[in-house]
Amino acid sequence: MNTRRLPTGGQINRAKPLAFEWDGKPLAGYEGDSLASALLASGETILGRSFKYHRPRGLMSAGVEESGAIVTIGTGARRDANVKATSQALYDGLVAKGQNAWPSVRNDFGAVNSLFGRFFSAGFYYKTFMGLPPFEWGEGTGAWMWYEKIIRKAAGMGTASREADPDAYEHANGYCDILVVGSGPAGRSAALSAAQSGCDVVLVEQDFALGGESLSRVEEADTLTKELAALRDAGVRLMENTTAFGLYDGSVAGLLERVTDHLSAPTQWMPRQRFWTMRSRFTVIASGALERHLAFGNNDRPGIMTANAAKIYLNRYGILAGENIVIATNNDSAYLTASSLSNAGAPVTLLDSREQVLSSSQAGAQSAGVDVQHGMSILNAKGSKGVYSIDLAEKSSDGWRAKNQMACDLLLVSGGWSPVVNLLSHRGIKPVWDSVNGCFIAPDHHEPIAMAGSAAGIWDHADCVQSGEKAAAHAIAHLQGQHSQIPNQSGGWETPIEALYEISVSGRQYKSFVDPQHDVTADDIRLAHQEGFVSVEHLKRYTTLGMATDQGKMGNVIGLALMAEALGKEIPEVGTTTFRPPYTPISIGALKGRNVGSHFRPLRRTPLHDWNLDVGGTMTMAGLWHRPWYFAQPGEGIGEAYVRETETVRRTVGVCDVTSLGKIAVQGPDATEFLNRVYTNPFAKLAVGKARYGIMLRDDGFVMDDGTTWRLAENDYFMTTTTAHAAKVMTFLEELLQTRWQDLRVHLTSVSEQWAGIAVAGPQSREVITECAADARKVTDSALPFMGVVETTLQGNIPARIARISFSGERAFEIYTPSDYGPAAMDMIWSAARVRKGCLYGLEALGALRIEKGHVTGAELDGRVTIEDAGLGRMASDKKSYIGSVLKNRPELLKDDRPRLVGIFPKDRREIFNAGSILCQNDNVSGYGNGWVTAVTHSPALGHWIGLGFIEGGHSNWADRDVVCADPLRKGNTPVEIVSPHMFDPSGERMYG
Amino acid sequence: MANRCSALAAYYPTGLHGRPGEPGVKLQEIPDLNLWQIAGWPDTMELIHLAITDGMNADRLTAGQALAGPKGVAFQVEPLKFWLLAEAPPVFKEAHGVILDLSHSRTQIRISGPEAQTCLSRLLPLDLRDHSFPQNAVASSGIHHVGITLWRSELGFELFIPRGFARSIWELLLETAEQFGSEVI
Repeated sequence: MNTRRLPTGGQINRAKPLAFEWDGKPLAGYEGDSLASALLASGETILGRSFKYHRPRGLMSAGVEESGAIVTIGTGARRDANVKATSQALYDGLVAKGQNAWPSVRNDFGAVNSLFGRFFSAGFYYKTFMGLPPFEWGEGTGAWMWYEKIIRKAAGMGTASREADPDAYEHANGYCDILVVGSGPAGRSAALSAAQSGCDVVLVEQDFALGGESLSRVEEADTLTKELAALRDAGVRLMENTTAFGLYDGSVAGLLERVTDHLSAPTQWMPRQRFWTMRSRFTVIASGALERHLAFGNNDRPGIMTANAAKIYLNRYGILAGENIVIATNNDSAYLTASSLSNAGAPVTLLDSREQVLSSSQAGAQSAGVDVQHGMSILNAKGSKGVYSIDLAEKSSDGWRAKNQMACDLLLVSGGWSPVVNLLSHRGIKPVWDSVNGCFIAPDHHEPIAMAGSAAGIWDHADCVQSGEKAAAHAIAHLQGQHSQIPNQSGGWETPIEALYEISVSGRQYKSFVDPQHDVTADDIRLAHQEGFVSVEHLKRYTTLGMATDQGKMGNVIGLALMAEALGKEIPEVGTTTFRPPYTPISIGALKGRNVGSHFRPLRRTPLHDWNLDVGGTMTMAGLWHRPWYFAQPGEGIGEAYVRETETVRRTVGVCDVTSLGKIAVQGPDATEFLNRVYTNPFAKLAVGKARYGIMLRDDGFVMDDGTTWRLAENDYFMTTTTAHAAKVMTFLEELLQTRWQDLRVHLTSVSEQWAGIAVAGPQSREVITECAADARKVTDSALPFMGVVETTLQGNIPARIARISFSGERAFEIYTPSDYGPAAMDMIWSAARVRKGCLYGLEALGALRIEKGHVTGAELDGRVTIEDAGLGRMASDKKSYIGSVLKNRPELLKDDRPRLVGIFPKDRREIFNAGSILCQNDNVSGYGNGWVTAVTHSPALGHWIGLGFIEGGHSNWADRDVVCADPLRKGNTPVEIVSPHMFDPSGERMYG
Repeated sequence: MANRCSALAAYYPTGLHGRPGEPGVKLQEIPDLNLWQIAGWPDTMELIHLAITDGMNADRLTAGQALAGPKGVAFQVEPLKFWLLAEAPPVFKEAHGVILDLSHSRTQIRISGPEAQTCLSRLLPLDLRDHSFPQNAVASSGIHHVGITLWRSELGFELFIPRGFARSIWELLLETAEQFGSEVI
């Protein structure tokens, strides 16, 4: 394969040379080159190794269907594997290298695989290594687990960098009237027509240059420039480097914009790629067609590519890819290519499988000096790292017969064209086989989509332009609510295409590739048939046909044709596999956008977040919230800190940020009735200025959540929920109002963000509150008794609502101030607490305090627990109806042996045990046991480890019985004692006092 | 009276950022938000509407459209709920509806400049083209899964973010705006 850059021609900028590196070798190209064209111009013809056999591969195409030149670009953290050299724009400083080869793609030790190629047929690995004799004798996958690692290492593609991706990616949302996919003649005419009719049009092009097919048509160079200018003038938004990779419901298209992949020095502020969600009202698919290969002997050798690719390299990049060229075809399109190559100075022989063609095609080629031979094709290519000659095949009455050899250094193939119908297929529309044109085309459908140009199977240039205009007219009619139809316009060959997929002669065995990217051969297809595969979907999965990164763009139709032949059917009867998004690969980075690192999920900060950090708090996740976990003093770890905090709360006073609790405003004249229906306990007589603890059930009778609700005014309540269930409760209550109780005049509003919450707990909590209140009289014991509520102000005129409620079991208050005043209120409260030798406490101490008291939280209320199970049965009214009141009384839920909330002590008080362990009878540690542990802590008040959990029948059922806390994966068995869940101050003297 | 503390207080990097040159996007927190929610009942909506629009020099409040007047700015956020940006809430009979102070529940960020629309499109699934989202248009949507409210004022796009998420969304905005050249005012 002797390639050379011609002195003139092409769409490259010869005034701007670009330096790049291939496998360590410095090379040069021009602005406007693809990596593939620059390599080709530099004489680099072996650019890859095949997946399985490690056969040398060169350029097979000039576009996204490429299956040979798959390379790795970039270095270090920016190393990017499996890049198609044909789609990669060349830039100054680009570093590329071959992959899946050692030491290089030119000399690869892995090529030894080729010697055993006949054994590596479809299903080889599974047949051989699963149930491997003599180890497994036909069953089991143990050996496979071992072999798989080696096989995967030997096969496959490039490797991605293991370093963190340093680039930024982002998502974007776009809107337009009409989205046009493809900037070829049909796409441009559709976009211009639509835009000139007043539509907002976006035109996307996957290539780094706009123009599509026109870029390789010399005669269109000037008109392309003018047409692109006209599109811009008409207001069309042109997006090159952008692939429409998927089409979804509601005319939503997924686009991938490669923002900086073509730049040698992108600015640091630009994202590398942008993932667009484009919402259009209509889509025109003018995505072109892909030229097909033919199956013949050694059809994957470097020096064999599609005829159209050679035309693109010649006319777009100014490269003559060979000195002695043979073209094998079954259709008219190769004639123009043959003429172009011949005019560029290379001797060209055109082998047309058809016996006759119309004179105009033939005359044009022959006048350009092309040697046209009819009824001829190619049987086998000779050469290893390039082609030096070919075996010809001549049509005979029963197929093909071998003929003479012919020398050549470039073999071009044109086995017909496959319209790119992938996007339409994404909408669930199966393409139909057009036997006249030898391709799958779009059927009639009712989607807001029109096919145009060669994507609709239209081959003539003028017809393509016209089809774009028709598609635009159809789109505009659709937008105006009118019904219109575009009739099938496929066709355009002067002489009909001939069905030709494989050339073979009996008695001659060659490696003939159908899907070169996954090394699937024609024999693999036939083997699959012999082994009983008849469904095309099963064929695909067994042989891996069409499963590589090109997703069958190059070989699917040939594979289907061979399967149809083996089955004795026609292609339409065999059908086709379903094209699914993405059309071309998408980086994981683009999928994640900016949702990475600290923005992996949105972080929810309390108004006291920075205050907590400033005073040394260590934070922990609580859903999306960050809450203070503990406040370590010098020399303390979490273990020492939370014990100290817990002890301090019980001894003097502690202050804690409790903002993350859910808060809901319940307003309206029917608010009381509403609350009475959702809580298990009565709310009808709750006085203004009082709070009440309440339990909420689900419809099925299980506990949903608990919390306190404060009556601020006659028709105004302030409900608190657990942090974990805030959104769930809000949603459920809204659903009740909007679907079941539309007659109730109640408004619900989440006010979780409006209020900063501070808990002040401990024997000296009232002193702290008194010091902070603007009017101390409002927070006296009589003005604010247990479960009392007051709306007042703190010093500094900070509005506050205060309730005397306790989660810790101590005398305690919850103070809520408008969020922006949170830090100021906390400064004041903490100052008052600190002088009383109080402490700040976090979630860990909060947990210890509530476990000592046996107070339930999300860990216990896990959706399996009834109100009786939680030990709160006395709160279930039998005098009213409420959500869950009927189904909670199902017999199964009333059984005495249901797991009930209990406290747990280690028998040996020096021992500890883990949350998540199961509780079992001492002599029967098996299955799911008799219960489970939900929470554990060291109890400073009791001086040993304690836990909460559930066990069959509750603690009275297990008095004096031997129980172990079984934790087989971590700690083993720990003998424990089952006790009442109210492990500290069970009468509540400290809380009420 | 204690000062209000913004959700963005700990991270408010005033000045120019990102791409050099004239900033394409300007970002500004509008501090000390005064936000009232007024909610009515199906048979009192007309009366609530009158109370809100009193002094607005405008006819009707319609969904997706803000009304701006000397007393403030009002827009509908749910079928029976309005938001009013004003010093004080409107006055109406208790039986007609309920009022709720949400002044501390949201952080208001103004995004302006020639690239403001493009910058927001990187984060918001809303059609912000001039004819689709003209001045005074209002919409509820989401940024990074966080529910937000957007109003296009004469000064720019006014973004109302739940206070707890404001810093997180603010960081994303700053990061996104750098490619256009940004200025935090």
